[in-house]
Amino acid sequence: MTDTTALLRTEALTRRFGGLLAVSNLDMDIRPNEILGLIGPNGAGKSTTFNLISGFHKPTAGRLFIGGRDVTGRSPEQISRLGLVRTFQHGSLMRGMTVRDNLLVGAVGALPQARGEPRRARVAETAKRLRLTAYLDERAGNLPHGLQRLVSIGIAVATGPRVLCLDEPLTGLNQSEVAGILDLFRSIRDEDGSSILLVEHNMKAVMQVCDRIVVLHHGQKLASGTPAEIGRDEAVISAYLGKRHDSH
Amino acid sequence: MQTALQIIATGLQIGAIYVLFSLGLTLTFGIMRIVNFAHGQFFTLSALVVAVVMPYLATAGLPLPAAFAGSAAAGVAASLLLGLVTYEWGFKRLQRDFVGSFILSLGLILLLEGLYLDVFGGAVRSVPPIIDGTVSVFGASLTSQRLLLCFVAVVLTGLLYAALAMTPVGKALRAASIDHEAAMLQGIPYQRIARHGFMIATLLAAVAGALIAPVSVVTTTLGSDYLIKGFIAVIVGGLGSIPGAIIGSLFIALVESVGGYFFDPSRASIAIFALVMVVLLVRPQGLMGHG
Amino acid sequence: MDNHAILKAGAPAVLAIALAAVLPASYASNLLNWIAIAALIAASLRMVLLFGELNFGTAAFVSIGAYTAGLLTTRFELPFLAAILAAGVMAALVSILFGYVTLRIKGPYFKLIGFAFAEVVRLCCTQIDWLGGNSGMVGIFPPAGLDAWYGTFVMTVVVLMLVGLYAVERSDFGKVLTAIRDNDAVVRTVGIDVHRAKVICFAIACFAAGIAGSLQAFANTVISPGDFGVLLSIMALAYLKVGGEESIFGPVAGAALLILLGSVALSFGAGEHVFYGAAIVLSVLIMPKGIVGMVDGLLRRPGGPAASTPAIREARGQ
Repeated sequence: MTDTTALLRTEALTRRFGGLLAVSNLDMDIRPNEILGLIGPNGAGKSTTFNLISGFHKPTAGRLFIGGRDVTGRSPEQISRLGLVRTFQHGSLMRGMTVRDNLLVGAVGALPQARGEPRRARVAETAKRLRLTAYLDERAGNLPHGLQRLVSIGIAVATGPRVLCLDEPLTGLNQSEVAGILDLFRSIRDEDGSSILLVEHNMKAVMQVCDRIVVLHHGQKLASGTPAEIGRDEAVISAYLGKRHDSH
Repeated sequence: MQTALQIIATGLQIGAIYVLFSLGLTLTFGIMRIVNFAHGQFFTLSALVVAVVMPYLATAGLPLPAAFAGSAAAGVAASLLLGLVTYEWGFKRLQRDFVGSFILSLGLILLLEGLYLDVFGGAVRSVPPIIDGTVSVFGASLTSQRLLLCFVAVVLTGLLYAALAMTPVGKALRAASIDHEAAMLQGIPYQRIARHGFMIATLLAAVAGALIAPVSVVTTTLGSDYLIKGFIAVIVGGLGSIPGAIIGSLFIALVESVGGYFFDPSRASIAIFALVMVVLLVRPQGLMGHG
Repeated sequence: MDNHAILKAGAPAVLAIALAAVLPASYASNLLNWIAIAALIAASLRMVLLFGELNFGTAAFVSIGAYTAGLLTTRFELPFLAAILAAGVMAALVSILFGYVTLRIKGPYFKLIGFAFAEVVRLCCTQIDWLGGNSGMVGIFPPAGLDAWYGTFVMTVVVLMLVGLYAVERSDFGKVLTAIRDNDAVVRTVGIDVHRAKVICFAIACFAAGIAGSLQAFANTVISPGDFGVLLSIMALAYLKVGGEESIFGPVAGAALLILLGSVALSFGAGEHVFYGAAIVLSVLIMPKGIVGMVDGLLRRPGGPAASTPAIREARGQ
């Protein structure tokens, strides 16, 4: 496997906040057509890693490559235009605007030069895919929590990303909503040919949907591998999973 | 050398008032995160009351210092009352709302200045100085009145510093200004603290106004004139920082003193505003502020 | 824009122009001019508010427009229309420079820096001799043939500008600006250059302010630095707040109401400042959505924007 096949790659990525070493020497990559899970206890550095790869934080040391290109230190907009789009843990949408307009922002990002028609088509397409068509004219802030989450994912999906980075998208969703979103992830991987980076606390979902998992602990990579491998890894079990995990 | 000392001395005299004025501004911004452009109106009201009441008391037979003390008390009381009213019915509802409180304060400036004009009339007033004569310090001359002013400013600043560092209210104010949510979680009664902070700021402006009356001509726009400089001082020194307000005030006063001596006052003003713009661009949190 | 919106906007626009055309030169027609120009300045302020910033330097750009038009007409004898257009362009150019540098700052600082800038511009005008210094500029006349029709001209230009601003607001670009105000981090994540969008919007708004300034210059035929002080920015804010920020009609309603009531108040000898000040204070405290917002709220379905629609109720399983 050569470097250029990885959609995203970090090399010794490090971020320090004053005296705190939030992420240290992280080497990880995201391959085409995969769903990669990023897990770890609170404070492990997941959010910081997310911010580093999406350009919201500049690394203290190390480098970031997207599609083989060195993008270390680039701004979030620049990184987004290279195909990496992320969501935020809380409120990753415009509550004061309609669902339609929320998705439109994503479409504008994807089609900056286009006139109205291609963008409207993309909005309709994305809404259909996320089953939001009935809510297009609702004010996003009025929707129940699960639908708001879908809208925030929808904004990112509308941009047609190559790497979709989702920060705890399943928080606060019920069983059937989670199942629906996991199906959506699979379709994004299989039909769009994109990859997904998923930060999640919902261990069952992570084990079900991820092709590979990277485990962070105290800002460093503790382990990486398939869900089965991670489930068996001693270090991971003792640091994080505890006795509650049982593989199916 | 003589000139330099004189310029510095003048600068310090101007600075003393700016310090009192901007301490209040920085306190309001630091604690409540509101930008109160109407701060000057508390200052003006106090000065106006002193300008009106003191001659009245003096002619009634009171010796000058007593007349001053009485009118100053009246002025401060009036300003405090105004402060309380504007807080309870206005700023309290707009805490942490920059735009809203800013707009409200602009409205208040217009409203209050207009009212002052109606009530007090447009005539310019002056108050006889309480202490006559000049004093020579290292060859530079200061009027005794202004020296008293500096002295009071220093004392008040010291008291404020001590209060913030040592009293429970002061500590709560500082905690709330750094992280108001954390402060609330610690059980600090935020509403009450915010009111205390606002009233202390008003008190400082009121005292400054009472003190300025004997050394300056008192007009209804007095507050606005000082306001601009006060805000600049606070921006340069750092919004929310007490030492910043002091440094900023002294700095602005010195620039004004130097500028007024060597250049046209208008050009000095241009320089000051340009400086502000630079500071806001390069280091918006000021010399000593925390972003 | 859909047909309904065109009708809604078109009718008052045509009425306004017709009114301006029939009024003879009089106190009333001056008042109408004043209202139109004020509405445009308030609309400029509102444009910047779309992406969430308060442009407290508006007076500076009105001033730049006025002085550009004045200078080009009196010294360089440029044709009338060219001078007006140049006024807008000049204001826009300066705003691009200013905005590029200052729109990066967050928090209350942008307002403060706008204020400082307006003061710098004003003070510089008092110091520069070929702008007339403290006494300002005189002899800024519209072409002789236009004299009787100047009111109609002003109203037409203002209406066209407002239509233009509205078109921008309703476009996809306008939606992006609203999104920036709501949650600019998300807008950045889809690859949109937020800073560039802000600068472009700012330039459009300041172009409008510059045009307003030029219209004012020709209306009064004299301008001086004092016309463009802090008070102008505060008044524009008053018109916007009282009228309502949420609709393009807000600035118009606010300007009309305040100027009309203000002139009535003046005739009773009341202080102008007290009146405007009280208007701002009351609006902020009691009518945060302004008059247009209040009327709009009363006309909507009861329950307001947070009411449940059938789709939402179904989603909630009710």
